[in-house]
Amino acid sequence: MVLLTVLLLSILVAAAVGSVSISPVNVGKMLISRVPPFRSMEQTWTAAEEMIILQVRLPRVLLAAVIGGGLSTAGVLFQGILRNPLADPYIIGVSSGASLGAAAALLFLIPAGIGWYGALPLFAFAGAVGATFIVFRVGLMHGRIHPTNLILAGVAVGALFTAIVSFMMVLKIQNLQDVYMWLMGSLSGRGWRQLAAALPYVLAGSMVAVLFTPKLDVYLLGEETAHSLGIDVQRLQKQVLAIGSLIAAACVAVSGVIGFVGLMVPHAVRMRIGPKHTPLTISSFLVGAIFLVAADTLARTVLSPVEIPVGIVTALTGGPFFIYLMKRG
Amino acid sequence: MQKRSLIEFDNVGFTYGSAPVLEGLSFQISTGQFVGIVGPNGAGKSTVLKLMDRLLTPTAGEVRVGGRNISQYSLRELAKLIALIPQEPEYFPFTVRELVSLGRSPYRKGYGTLTPLDEEIVERAMQEAGVSEHAHRPVDQLSGGERQRVTLARALAQKTPILLLDEPTNHLDIEHQLHICQLLEGKAGEGMTCVAVLHDLNLVAAYCHEVLVLDQGRLIAQGPPGDILTPKLVQEVYHVAVPDIRHPVTGRPVIAP
Repeated sequence: MVLLTVLLLSILVAAAVGSVSISPVNVGKMLISRVPPFRSMEQTWTAAEEMIILQVRLPRVLLAAVIGGGLSTAGVLFQGILRNPLADPYIIGVSSGASLGAAAALLFLIPAGIGWYGALPLFAFAGAVGATFIVFRVGLMHGRIHPTNLILAGVAVGALFTAIVSFMMVLKIQNLQDVYMWLMGSLSGRGWRQLAAALPYVLAGSMVAVLFTPKLDVYLLGEETAHSLGIDVQRLQKQVLAIGSLIAAACVAVSGVIGFVGLMVPHAVRMRIGPKHTPLTISSFLVGAIFLVAADTLARTVLSPVEIPVGIVTALTGGPFFIYLMKRG
Repeated sequence: MQKRSLIEFDNVGFTYGSAPVLEGLSFQISTGQFVGIVGPNGAGKSTVLKLMDRLLTPTAGEVRVGGRNISQYSLRELAKLIALIPQEPEYFPFTVRELVSLGRSPYRKGYGTLTPLDEEIVERAMQEAGVSEHAHRPVDQLSGGERQRVTLARALAQKTPILLLDEPTNHLDIEHQLHICQLLEGKAGEGMTCVAVLHDLNLVAAYCHEVLVLDQGRLIAQGPPGDILTPKLVQEVYHVAVPDIRHPVTGRPVIAP
């Protein structure tokens, strides 16, 4: 509940901050005035301010919250089901696949008139799903998932795809900036459309994920113990990996590869509240959302009018904070 | 009087790849027994235990529990029938109470929290295993012996008629070893059927009602340890010579070099 309040407040404040500064109170009033019973509220802001908030900042801030929450939830799922503390939403190829799709689109397909810039997320999403599918096929032995095999397959496919992306960049050296921005993860220029594209996957995926959390707790005790407690281990692994991959793919498709959030947030939350998956998943979603809203606000204001890719900000601020958490124990 | 047999192996074979691990294994275990499975490394002891909990499927023959082929149970039914403590249980920093509560998960419907009855069973399981005082401590802060008792409490909270244990006394000091064996002996007295893979023949001799001796995937002998664990058998199965010693008080065999 506290986290939810903090999230709502940080969304208001983040929307208020920017090259044109608008008071958070006005932002709040602006939103409330859109709800029918309050339509007659006195307008204490200008039309231009309303335009900036509703068309530019609010969708971007909301998108940051959705992506941050989605990546953190996916991180919880992957760390749990692979029982590996280094697992993150990208470990089984989602990011490298999305990168390949995006780079191919930006460097070759769109310049050649195949597809248009707005369809970039579609290419990235297709790449992410494709790569995950390949990793699944490789990591599956006799119809069984072995977490170690899956991770190794993810690393191998990831290396292959990254190499192809680099090769494409060498071939098309003149169009690099777009690809670079994308690879580092950025929410620059994203709006309602991207939000509408990612939101259903992330929200539905996260809700389904919460339904699986009691089983994940049992699964933590080891595959044999989970089996003896009535859990179909193979099925659980496939379901959870599919949900996690889908959430991660939807996030990556609209925002590019924002690193570190999906790895760090679940750990930080686990240190505070312990390993029980139901509160862990919900809290990680909220903390991830708050973190990315804050990081993206820094990304667009620190060097304004120049934007820093938010992936750089998450690693720059999150890294030291995480080390502090670990040292404090 | 014929005792009711709860677990039956009927000519069971298990082949891993092309190497046979078990061949033509037939035996019965009846209700309320504390049974030790012994044998040299690689004899197939753990495999027998895994077949009993359907972690593995026999490649020949049939495993029956309660008169029914084990493959006919749903996983959840099986979880209410058989609890398993694997060889190397994994721990996450759950608190003791949280971990023991997970033993109730086969009974939870959907997303429900623990019922008062569940709570009571969890409390009782922690008491029996002697870990109540640690209820709020994270499991990873406990000693190896205490952790094994927590795992035992989790299995007891499952309230199953059958408990399977794979080397439950490994890495434990003698006090914890005896504690676990006494607990199992007591649970067997209450009607629970306990089957444990054990390496320590003296623990088997002192506590088990019955011993199954395996060697190279075959059953060599089954019966009360006092009759079975003779110097002759130890020589045959383990290739070591031991003197014929009996415990001065209990009269049970003592296996010492």
